[in-house]
Parts: sequence; structure tokens; C-alpha cells
Amino acid sequence: MFARSSSRIFNVINISCIQSRSARAWVRKPLGSPMAKSKMFRIAPKKFIPADEKAEVKRLYDNYFHQMKSLRHYFFEQSLEQAESGEVAQMKHRLEEEEHIRLMEENRLENEKTAKLREEKLKIQAEKTRENILASLINKEEETRLYEIQIEAFLEKQKATPFIQAENIEKAIEEALANPVDFNFAIDLDGYVYRGRETAIEKIPEEERERLRSN
Amino acid sequence: MASAIPTFTKIGKVIRLNKHGCTNRPFYHIVVQKTRDNFDGPVIEQVGSYDAMPNSQNEKLVAVNFERVQYWLAQGAGISNPVAQLLGLSGFLPNHPQTLIQSWKNRREPPRERKLQPIKGIAPPLDNPKI
Repeated sequence: MFARSSSRIFNVINISCIQSRSARAWVRKPLGSPMAKSKMFRIAPKKFIPADEKAEVKRLYDNYFHQMKSLRHYFFEQSLEQAESGEVAQMKHRLEEEEHIRLMEENRLENEKTAKLREEKLKIQAEKTRENILASLINKEEETRLYEIQIEAFLEKQKATPFIQAENIEKAIEEALANPVDFNFAIDLDGYVYRGRETAIEKIPEEERERLRSN
Repeated sequence: MASAIPTFTKIGKVIRLNKHGCTNRPFYHIVVQKTRDNFDGPVIEQVGSYDAMPNSQNEKLVAVNFERVQYWLAQGAGISNPVAQLLGLSGFLPNHPQTLIQSWKNRREPPRERKLQPIKGIAPPLDNPKI
């Protein structure tokens, strides 16, 4: 049937793409062609159907379609019910249940396995954190100890410096007045003090060289 | 189920007669097919048969698988007129109007020449050659 089908190419009808030696299938009369002489003044005969027959026919068809519609609905609902409760559905349900149980079991075993692994990991981690904490505590202790020692040393040094207390003040004043300090001196990079007019340390004799020491 | 009301307007599948057999000897398969497929195209399921030639007992034999027909109707398949008439005659569906119309027309009009002649001499001849 398809081998004989004609196609519409460039609006030219009744051409077959496939070569065949049998008769060409007629699809339709070409659109531009005129009406045939035999058909020019033809009036198609119209069947006369009396009104009561028409009414009867209509009634029959209406009833029939109504009944068919309801039947289809009924069949559809029946099929739904059967799908829920039929044999196939029951078997499917049973298989699904079994599958579900199997999978749950598998899941449980898997969970147990991973729980065990997790336990071990956590233990190791706990051990490590404990060690870390201990080490840090020890470090902290060390540091505080060192800090305290440093503080001690610092305080010692501060205490060692001569502070002028309230009782010593007059004595300190008298001492300061008695011993004036002369700051009019220069200093070079090595710390040698130049009080006079000499600018080279070699010119100053050994005994009179003064050197400021940095503490 | 998304919608409990199926749409019957778009009929994808159809229960209809497929003519097989040979020249001067038609034999129909009652078949579920997609509407656009040909008579010799793919068939979803064969659901019965209809022999148009009367047999030695002057019977035209029809076979129908009612369970499957019901299934396909539930799935929203359409039915062609001849199949609907056959099912109506069988009692599965209500009588098709066409059967009733044809019957009163047969009663009214004189009979006409038919190609398929009932076999004579074996069973009593039919009253109305139109049937």
C-alpha cells in the first residue's frame, strides 16, 4: 500500500517517488482542472428520511452512546479495583514486601559495620585528643614557670636599682648637690667619652679614657 | 491514579475487523490496533475472529475474548461499528442501533442480489436473503 502511495511534490499531486510498473494510484483530481462534462449539471440525490424515523434513529443512538459511556466508566473502575486486589497485584505486593525486608536487613548489617568502624575511629581520636590536651597542659605549666622566673628576675633587678624612698630624700638631695654630674661630653660609636677638646681617642692617654658601658 | 475520569476523545487504540483470507473468501480478525496502523500493520492483540461465509449449518461463526475486550475498553480503546454490532448481538454490549435500523429496513424493502449465496441443499433456505 505504501509503495503505491502518491505524494505531493511542489504542489503537483499524483506522482510516485517509487518506480512501479503497475497502475498509478489516484489520490485526487488536480486542483486547477475544470469540472468534467458529465458532472457539470449533476445534482447529488439526497436521501429523504421521514421525521419520525429520524427521531427514532436519534433516540436509539442517544441511548446507545449513553449506555456505552456508562459501560466504559464501569469497566474502567473495575480495572482499577482489579489492579488493587487482583492476583497479579497480590503477588507484586508480596514480592515487594520480601524485597523490602531483605533490603532493611542489608541496611541494618551495613549500619552495624559502619558503627563498629566509627567506634574504633572515635576511640583513636579520643586517645589523640587526650594526649594533645596533656601535652598542651604541660606546655602551659612550663611556660608559666618560665614566666614566673622571668618576673622574679625582673623584680630583682628593679629592686636592686637604688630608689629614693621618703626617708632617703634629704640625703639624696644633699648627695646630688654635692656631686654635680656634667653631661657636656660627646660620645663615639664605641662608647668612648670625649669631655675635652680632643676628638681622637688615641690622643687621650690610657689612664684617662672613659667608656660608657651598655648594660 | 492521577485522574479517575479517563478521556475517551483521544482514542489511540481501536478494536476493529481486519480482513484476511483470500479472493472471494473473506475472513476477519477482531483485533486491537492503533488507529493509524494499517490492516496489515502491527497488531497489539487479536481478540477474536469473524467468518463472513456461512458454514455448512448456515452459521456465521464469531469468536470473541470478552475478558480482553473488557480490559481494552477499560484502557480507553474505541470500537468500530461492525465490531460493536457483533458484540451487541452477542450480548456483551447493548444492541447497536445499526442492527435495529438494518432489520427494519430489511423488513421494508425488497431484497437485492448478493454475492455470498447461502449453501443450498444442506440446511433450510433462509427466509430473508438479505441476512
